[in-house]
Amino acid sequence: MSTPSPNESTASHGPVTEPGSLVESQAGGGSTSADHPAGHGDEDHGGLGLYLAVFGALCFLTTMSFFTYSSYWPWRDEPQVGWAFMMAVSCTKALLVVLFFMHVLWEANWKYVLTIPAAMMAIFLAIMLIPDIGLRNRMVAQERALHMARPADLLLLEQAASAAEGEPHHADDHDH
Amino acid sequence: MSFLANASRSPATFAMNASAASIPHDAHGHHGPVLQYQPGLPLSRGKLIMWLFLSTEIMFFAALLGSYVVLRFGAAVWPKPHHVHLSEPIGAFNTFVLICSSVTVVLALEAARANKRSLAKIWMLATLVLGAFFLGIKAYEYSAKFSHGIYPAAPRGLIYERPDLYYGSAVRARLSDPAIIEQMKELDARPESELTAAELTGRRRLAQVREMAMAADQQAFDLAVIADQVMPLADDAAGGHGHGGGLNETFSWLQLPIVIPGGNMWASTYFLLTGFHAIHVIVGLIVFGILLLYELGPKHAGMIENAGLYWHFVDLVWIFLFPLLYLF
Repeated sequence: MSTPSPNESTASHGPVTEPGSLVESQAGGGSTSADHPAGHGDEDHGGLGLYLAVFGALCFLTTMSFFTYSSYWPWRDEPQVGWAFMMAVSCTKALLVVLFFMHVLWEANWKYVLTIPAAMMAIFLAIMLIPDIGLRNRMVAQERALHMARPADLLLLEQAASAAEGEPHHADDHDH
Repeated sequence: MSFLANASRSPATFAMNASAASIPHDAHGHHGPVLQYQPGLPLSRGKLIMWLFLSTEIMFFAALLGSYVVLRFGAAVWPKPHHVHLSEPIGAFNTFVLICSSVTVVLALEAARANKRSLAKIWMLATLVLGAFFLGIKAYEYSAKFSHGIYPAAPRGLIYERPDLYYGSAVRARLSDPAIIEQMKELDARPESELTAAELTGRRRLAQVREMAMAADQQAFDLAVIADQVMPLADDAAGGHGHGGGLNETFSWLQLPIVIPGGNMWASTYFLLTGFHAIHVIVGLIVFGILLLYELGPKHAGMIENAGLYWHFVDLVWIFLFPLLYLF
């Protein structure tokens, strides 16, 4: 909240500005620099230490999501665990970038006006795709089903590969 | 209302502005308040426009990423990263490069605000170099896909969805191509001493594949064996039989059709997503190149900030693209 200059009454109105003076210049001790809009002495947030800390956190989180790919990841048989973990890691990373690198942490409330509707639209957009595209294979024409890849094809290819694996790689003329 | 008003300009200020016309005097009978125009949002015009643009970009990439996720999880079969020759370490390294470039652009902004012009220029240049490095790695990855016949569309793409009769006839058609017949004759004529071990094995396997492909009575399994010989799907345990390449890798002129179940949809989404991201990276690099022409002092800090916002957004998109494309 801004502190009005003492000679003005504020019984029913907010702070009253003098001609030529900006509201910001009247804002007294009650207003922290974090409340300030971009412009004046508000760029003293951040700093090298903070940015490097965020950078370290981002690198650590990238290593974490890469960890799901390594053989030490304990849930290799349940990919859903890895997916959930990676999405959580990605959201954390995105939040770090947005809050600190894009300075959103220090911005005024307009940030919600722009980001929340866009985020809601984005989520809604993806959900709207589910019935027609996500569930497109629930019912397909026979003609299309004929040409679609199916898990059995993958199995067949794996069997062919292991048959090839079974034979020595260099010399024999045996086919399959 | 209070949503739009900055904390230092209280909602009351806002309300006063709105109703000023109807209140000629304040409660104490003094002169009416002297009003002054206040902008609706407490930020510079350039930054506002950049944020508006970014909010459209959020939806743009949300549409792309959302369709990717929905297509991927709705598909009966989706190739594993190894099947399409994606390298997770390269992707992770690219993530690292982009994060570094995000830090350097932030540091360039800080330096410009502190009027350390040459330092700002160095950080900006570092951002440009890192961005170009990212693109270089991406180009290398693209060329690896292309060399395996993985293209987003038909004329060059060699991907077939299943080892079925259509695949078999495509292999036959390729093997009956006069140019390929010529190449195969040349290969057969070369003495064994001239060939490498891989080429020697490849020649033997190619002869088998020709025999199987031209045979009158093919079983589904035969076609799968052909597909495996042409380009094996690497299994999860990397370094197995898969990475040893197939006939297509041994003989780059061969370019036989390959089988990757779900591979066509994968290629379409992969190239679309990474392609649009790469376009954004290129635009960012152009902007940084232009910025480098200026004195990067406090006067141009706003420009650096806006370019930085855009660049962080590009980084943000990659943060989601990397796990979705490389690790899922």
